Amino acid sequence: MPVLFRRLFPGDERLTQLLPLLHQAGLRLEEDVEVMVVAYQQGRVVACGGLAGRVLKCIAIDPARRGEGLSLSLMTELITLAFERGRPELFLFTKPENHALFAASGFYPLAEVPGYLVLMENSPDRLRRHCARLRRQRQPGKRIGAIVMNANPFTLGHRWLVEQAAARCDWLHLLVVQEDASPFRYADRYPLIAQGTHGIRNLTLHPGSAYVISRATFPGYFLKDQGVVDICHSQIDLQLFRRYLAPALGITHRFVGTEPFCPLTAAYNRRMNALLAGPDGLWPPVEVVELPRLEVDGVPVSASRVRARLAAGDWDAVAALVPPTTLAFLQHAHRRETTPA
Amino acid sequence: MEIVKDAVAGTLESSDALVRIGPSPEPGLHLTLESVVKAQFGEAIDQLARATLAQLGITQALIAIDDKGALACVLRARVQAAALRAAGKEPSEWSLPG
Repeated sequence: MPVLFRRLFPGDERLTQLLPLLHQAGLRLEEDVEVMVVAYQQGRVVACGGLAGRVLKCIAIDPARRGEGLSLSLMTELITLAFERGRPELFLFTKPENHALFAASGFYPLAEVPGYLVLMENSPDRLRRHCARLRRQRQPGKRIGAIVMNANPFTLGHRWLVEQAAARCDWLHLLVVQEDASPFRYADRYPLIAQGTHGIRNLTLHPGSAYVISRATFPGYFLKDQGVVDICHSQIDLQLFRRYLAPALGITHRFVGTEPFCPLTAAYNRRMNALLAGPDGLWPPVEVVELPRLEVDGVPVSASRVRARLAAGDWDAVAALVPPTTLAFLQHAHRRETTPA
Repeated sequence: MEIVKDAVAGTLESSDALVRIGPSPEPGLHLTLESVVKAQFGEAIDQLARATLAQLGITQALIAIDDKGALACVLRARVQAAALRAAGKEPSEWSLPG
């Protein structure tokens, strides 16, 4: 019986036909799916899979038709689709019991929460090659620190955190979150971080990657508005850090600011302590150091506070919370937005 | 010929091969291979892929092959197709001698 493949886009009412199949697999149709590839046989849906950025998700095969053939055809369609959209580097999350199916499609495991979740990518050595490149940026010293920073936008609080951490280390590696999911794009955030940390001599700024708090490896981080505290995903993100990124750079300490406002980040910080400093086979522990936040007018400085003052048009408050370079950027962006075309 | 973008050719179906080719930051051909007959034919597949790329004048690329038992002629065709797509070549330029 020939199988027909069709691509469905968000809003297509035929997507409702997928819900029973997804539900049966314990999945739901996620909002960020850009295209669903659906396999039909005799007019009935027999398999489906979706592409969301660099991530393949919502993949389900009719159990009655399970077997190598159909699932491999579906994976071929998804991979080809992703390539058409310029995304050759792909990730997926799946239950460990499905690992063999995706291994046959050219996916390899990166990190696993046993019994719950495994993160895979479509290369046997891409992460290893990434770490080899990181290794070339190692610096000598006994205390090598790391900060993972979003900086949305870069504030005096961020500057304070970097200064404090750098003072406590022989060298500090600053890893910038690359995902463009925040109000401020990576292309704007990164230069603000670079400008804002100017003058700190024992510092290396690293461009973001898919392996540090990205939609691919830590989707829950970007669903803050839905109040999703994603334990499994944070465990995967931290496992990647401890077992791959930290050893490559020789990281001994990871610095974070205390998190007064955001429950998701606070929960992530707590898990970080357990997973980075706790026992984990032969992987060297990374000590987590929580530094108290810089306060202005008795209130901790945070990017969310700056965004709130910005939304309220309170430029005096904003100026007190960010370095001149960030202020200049915000004012310029504001002028561009409010100037009639 | 220079590899300027990522491209794919073939499928994961039995007797075919999925070949992915993309730009590499370092000189040389970096090839990763998975095959259902890796023990028996792994080396032969590796050599065939490299020979095909050499014939096309490609010396720097990342190549990933997922082989599901493809015959040599099929493998060659998939490698050629992926390479030419990755080099941004038009279909009319796809004539490989032999």
